[in-house]
Amino acid sequence: MKRNTIVLGVVLFILATFAWAGWANFEYRQQAAQLRLASVDRGMLIADPQGGPPEYVSPLAGKPAPAFALEDLSGAKVALSSFKGKAVLINFWATWCAPCKIETPWLIELRNQYGPQGFEVLGISADDLDRNDAKRFSEEKDEIAQSATKMHIPYPVLIDGATLSDAYGGLDELPMSFYVDRNGVVVAAQMGLTSKSEIEGNIKKAMGQ
Amino acid sequence: MVHIKATFGLTLVLALGAVSALGQAVKGQGSPAKPGAVEFLYPEQVTVEADKPAVVKLHFRVAEGMHINSHAPKDEFLIPTTLDFPDGTGVKLEKADYPVGGEYSFPGDPGSKLSVYVGQFEIEAHIRAEKGNHLVEAKLRYQACNNAQCFPPRTAAVAVDVIGK
Repeated sequence: MKRNTIVLGVVLFILATFAWAGWANFEYRQQAAQLRLASVDRGMLIADPQGGPPEYVSPLAGKPAPAFALEDLSGAKVALSSFKGKAVLINFWATWCAPCKIETPWLIELRNQYGPQGFEVLGISADDLDRNDAKRFSEEKDEIAQSATKMHIPYPVLIDGATLSDAYGGLDELPMSFYVDRNGVVVAAQMGLTSKSEIEGNIKKAMGQ
Repeated sequence: MVHIKATFGLTLVLALGAVSALGQAVKGQGSPAKPGAVEFLYPEQVTVEADKPAVVKLHFRVAEGMHINSHAPKDEFLIPTTLDFPDGTGVKLEKADYPVGGEYSFPGDPGSKLSVYVGQFEIEAHIRAEKGNHLVEAKLRYQACNNAQCFPPRTAAVAVDVIGK
């Protein structure tokens, strides 16, 4: 009888230890997530404790996408607000970014697939532009246009994305994508080359599916 | 009694395991450090014959997990690695011989082969120095990526004290 009581006590102690560890882990993650979102104004990669791919945490998650109006390749201003009511994928890329060229065909295919349901992609070039030198500016813009043409991009391509760097939590690494729902709220963000299925999952999230 | 001891021992092991798991979860948080991409290694000082052509081997290292485009990337829009000497330092860069890049493919696109430098590489700088001591602050322009992201083009400082005798 005495032995049984001791064994029962030991088992309860083990269970209590694991419950405490699990609770403490959960609490820590909650606090860390809140701290990250409250204190950072720049996006960051968070290492996966299990060794998987790092998670990109954006300060914009759950917040309205910062408004902008940038020139497209024809010189016309394109505002994010003009896409209200649509789910929008804001994709920052650059002519020198090799992984951007890998994901662009995926974006085109997904835009063709989900476009009729109210989805649009905005490709924003983060290439440096020298606006103080008209000739150089024209050459740089031509280079962006040539790159977009070579990739057969059918969606709007905007320039001067670097001016949005602070508003969008830093654009030091490309590609970078923000998924905006029909109400203009950022529901997901991605940094770096991922996969077509992950991009599609976020598009569905932005579309409310 | 032996049974009780064994149970307590097991409890201790499991409890330590649980605490260790918690510790690991805590340790796993945080953003990885931002990569510096390219570092100039050596030489810091060279002595060459004044007003005569000379070859200086400049050694560089690309940070682990990163690669930079070679001097001859296979895509017209990618930015090549280039070495540049400033004017008016008493040392003229007449030509630079760059190594041939190695092939690299991003995960998810094994078909496309890029030409890149990884790890250590050297550039042979063909220079002509005037007589005297010259601190040359050359620049290496490069554009780096890891296996998922690319970083804007940057320049690495290449400071070499060139003594022309």
